[in-house]
Amino acid sequence: MTRDSRKPLGLDDVFIVDCDVHANEPPEALAPYIDMPWRRSLELLGRGPQRYLDIPGYAPILNLDPPFPDRGLGNRTVTSARQMRDELDELSIDVGILFPDNLLKIAVFPHVDYAAALGRAYNAWLADAWVSREEGLYGAVLAAPQDPKDAAEQIRTYGADDRFVAVYLPVAGLRPLWGDRMYDPIYEAAEEMGLPVMLHSVGIIHPHFPFNLEHVESRIVRHPINHEFALMANLFTMIANGVPVRYPNLEIVFTEGGVSWVPFVMWRMDKEYAEIPTGAPFLERPPSEYIKEMYYCTQPIEEPERARDLVTMIDLFDGRDKVIFASDWPHHDFDHPRKVLNMPFDAQLKRNIMGETARRLFKLPVPVPVA
Amino acid sequence: MARIRVGPADEIQPGQPAFVTHGDIEIAVFRLDDGFRAYRNRCPHQQGPVCTGPVSGTLVATADTDWRLAWVLEGRVLICPWHSMEFDLDTGRRIRAQSERLRAFPVEVESGQVFVQVGPRSAASAARQRA
Repeated sequence: MTRDSRKPLGLDDVFIVDCDVHANEPPEALAPYIDMPWRRSLELLGRGPQRYLDIPGYAPILNLDPPFPDRGLGNRTVTSARQMRDELDELSIDVGILFPDNLLKIAVFPHVDYAAALGRAYNAWLADAWVSREEGLYGAVLAAPQDPKDAAEQIRTYGADDRFVAVYLPVAGLRPLWGDRMYDPIYEAAEEMGLPVMLHSVGIIHPHFPFNLEHVESRIVRHPINHEFALMANLFTMIANGVPVRYPNLEIVFTEGGVSWVPFVMWRMDKEYAEIPTGAPFLERPPSEYIKEMYYCTQPIEEPERARDLVTMIDLFDGRDKVIFASDWPHHDFDHPRKVLNMPFDAQLKRNIMGETARRLFKLPVPVPVA
Repeated sequence: MARIRVGPADEIQPGQPAFVTHGDIEIAVFRLDDGFRAYRNRCPHQQGPVCTGPVSGTLVATADTDWRLAWVLEGRVLICPWHSMEFDLDTGRRIRAQSERLRAFPVEVESGQVFVQVGPRSAASAARQRA
């Protein structure tokens, strides 16, 4: 039986790939997977008090806000693959790409060996307890930026495992930004293994651009700066240092920034490039042409007063096959897939955004056709 | 128009709504200082289970507070558990975004029992009903 093409697409009519869901990894869960002497550290942290994504020495956040009653209800966690599969089923999501919770802040740690060990432990834990093609749960290899050579080894190790389909590049607290040449081993390995790199940020207060936000009294200011502005800053450096030129087969994905900033960055960089082409000597084409070839996750999807403006926005960067759905489940600002599916996109664009583009990008198995 | 019995009025405590269903519509009945309010358990934002959220107050800073932060509407603010969107339980309207509101249903109390009236959307939303 085929569906009536005049009816709007429903959640069950489309293959849905969620490019950003979060697996909660308390320190005691990673302790068995981490090398000594860091196992002792995680065991200690596991026995100590823990707050939501706020564990000194493991998930440092420096929360300076006064609390108020009954906020923070979004402090949901998913602590097992079974729970994740069940909750994604509730949301009609077929496939989820896993990112960490606490280790979203891994780039902050000054201790290189500790950061690299945390990355290795997370990847091993994910491989052991979470990723499964049958369950539609796939991993993004955590690349600890502090030790690019070690991260490259991790990418080669787990890139050979078909349950890992991407590389996670942490953004929060990063120094230097992802355009720096020191990260070349990571890009080289990701390109070699055919894994897209996915930049993902998180809220944090730290004296690294653009996180020197300790003077800002409102989260409504910090949150978009932590996310969208951070992604923009990293994209600027990646373009200027020619990452997409030097690694032409590397796919680059931006996560948790929505899509509306993309035309601004494109046009702003083209303007700069016209005036200062020596500032980006690697480039063979204007910056916008590379930016149009990258991928952008929907969450947090913009909700303009005129919903059709979002269609216009995507067309401004020729993004009909570059925008991919993400929910950010189970975080406080997650988007239900219904919200994105019900945007005034045409049917093909809906199918592309909800899953088809991501299926091709991550080389996922072709799903059984839905009726 | 269907009349749905919710239960004894004295069993509905402030901040702890009673839930009833009518077809595929889930309705929560809240007790406020001056009576009851009934709302559909679906957030107008992303259709989350809004009525399962906590009832609390909210922060404002207005000319009336000399532009200083003040905690107001304690016991009247329903917070959606999905995205923390706030609704005034008295009116069903979203706080600071008055055009959005919860779907309301008339409430009656008869012989100590609470009832909600479920009918066409237009009739139900036409006016806030107090009981």
